[in-house]
Amino acid sequence: MPLTYKNIAPLIVSGKNIFSKWLGYFGLGIGVLLLFVSIQMFVNIGQLLKENSPRKSGGYDFISISKTITNENMGKDNSFTKEDLADLKQQSTIAAVAPLISNKFRVRATAGDIVPFSTDLFLESIDDNFIDTVPPTFTWQPGQLIIPIIFSSDLLEMYNVFAPAQGLPQLSAKTISSVNIFLECSGPNGTQVFKGNIVALSDRINSLLVPKSFMNWSNLHFMGDTAVHASRVYIKTKDANNPKLISYLDSQNYRLNKDKVKFGRVKSILQNIISALGVFGILVIVLALMLFSFYLQLMIAKSKDNLRLLLTLGYSPKWLAKSVAKTWLPVYLTIIIVALILTEILHLLFMQLSFVRVADLSYLLHWSVWLTAIFLLALTIFINLKLVKKELANII
Amino acid sequence: MTMQIQLRNLIPDYIEKEKRIASQIWSQDIFINKGEHLHIVAPSGSGKTSLMHFIYGLRKDYSGSVFYDNTDIKKLSTESFSAFRQKKISIIFQDLRLFENETVNENIEIKRILDPYHRSEKIIEMAERLGIENKLDQVAKTCSYGEQQRIAIIRALMQPFEFLLLDEPYSHLDEANRQKAMELIYEECDKREAAMIFADLKPLEFLKDEKVLYL
Repeated sequence: MPLTYKNIAPLIVSGKNIFSKWLGYFGLGIGVLLLFVSIQMFVNIGQLLKENSPRKSGGYDFISISKTITNENMGKDNSFTKEDLADLKQQSTIAAVAPLISNKFRVRATAGDIVPFSTDLFLESIDDNFIDTVPPTFTWQPGQLIIPIIFSSDLLEMYNVFAPAQGLPQLSAKTISSVNIFLECSGPNGTQVFKGNIVALSDRINSLLVPKSFMNWSNLHFMGDTAVHASRVYIKTKDANNPKLISYLDSQNYRLNKDKVKFGRVKSILQNIISALGVFGILVIVLALMLFSFYLQLMIAKSKDNLRLLLTLGYSPKWLAKSVAKTWLPVYLTIIIVALILTEILHLLFMQLSFVRVADLSYLLHWSVWLTAIFLLALTIFINLKLVKKELANII
Repeated sequence: MTMQIQLRNLIPDYIEKEKRIASQIWSQDIFINKGEHLHIVAPSGSGKTSLMHFIYGLRKDYSGSVFYDNTDIKKLSTESFSAFRQKKISIIFQDLRLFENETVNENIEIKRILDPYHRSEKIIEMAERLGIENKLDQVAKTCSYGEQQRIAIIRALMQPFEFLLLDEPYSHLDEANRQKAMELIYEECDKREAAMIFADLKPLEFLKDEKVLYL
């Protein structure tokens, strides 16, 4: 019959203080549960509030920012300076930056004979790699009379809303490319009419985009202006809801589409609350483990004479330490398993909530919860064994 | 390979010079081999128990050295000691050292299971020989000192050993029980071809051809 703890169990006085033992178990259970639940909820909220916008491509968000117009800076130059752009580029949360450059000269558009329509327009240009749809025809060279235009899908939608009231025909995405637009560009240096041709629609950028080469040429040609005035800047970022990015933009007084980052703000507040809960859980665990260690010390102190005699009789100190420490293993294991089950139940209840899109979440607990459980178990066993060894070494 | 215990120039820290010079053990080199019987005779208070504790590794307040084979036991870890105490050296303490709140049987069994040399039935057999068979289920502290001494003797014989240390093991036994205990101990030592280091107040008449040293 191999030697087990059972053989020496009667010699280890477990003490009369049952209350402190159960208080310790209870505290440890609460702490572990708090920690697991907060990790799972942290993950859940991250998953639910992940934005899936069409502006996202290749894992990146493209969002437009501008300077906030206030009563103080109204009427001043609120375009981005070179320093502003350089500073933006340095942010770790921003992968790339591209200014939207607008026309300085006057543009008047008429739609020719089919659509009796005429309006003042604005044109903008941006780096090609910021545009989601760039056909090969989106180029321009001096002397070319046809200007390729990338039109915003949002603007097309708006046009289709007001067109019937103006007696204008509604246009589909297909037919818009066949509409001839005449662009009359005029400035102090003269007037010239170009033919505009819509070559693509963009979901990402809300503007009328022309090739950069045309913008540079025309600003110089009609206005004699070479300065870059960017009142809007597009930034490319991994996560538009990153709290770090949002707080940076806020600190710079940059305005961005609130809708797009609303989730980010809610997310960061919720996650902060849950993190605090998790930290509280860790604190409770530490306190419970301390209570356990006092209990253990008391137990060993009370059984000091018996343990010493066992060592004298030839019992191995290593074996004794292991056996005494092992008696706690089922307790720790039970506490952690019960906490995991309760966390799973809470997670399933959470998934019943009306605002939860079930498809975004897994019914099982996140792997980080499992990992934490394993880590906690290993940690408690390790601490326990160390403690028993230390106490035993003291009585030898 | 069989084990040897060596005492080399062993002197307790507290001993007076005159006692040390008169001694046949202190400041001497003594080698004890497997199978030898050594009888140490000394009046009470002269250091018998200290010597036993030095050899068993419980105390270190001495100069000189105790060797198990070629290892100075001051350098042994508690872990290595436990291996020696399980397989090589057994002891009967003068102060017995029993688990007072456990039964007689549990006291003996806890030693036996550590490295069983005998089956558990042997406990009953030995208890019968020493006349304590009806005490086996009794809590140790309720037994008389003489009975407790017999428990300690049986406990020491439950393990394999090459050396048996006996520190006044019969002090509370009458002549008849002393004889029975002595016979049992001799039998068990012979079985193992073990050495016996036996300390007592005076030479015992029934110790036959023993080597006697005066402490």
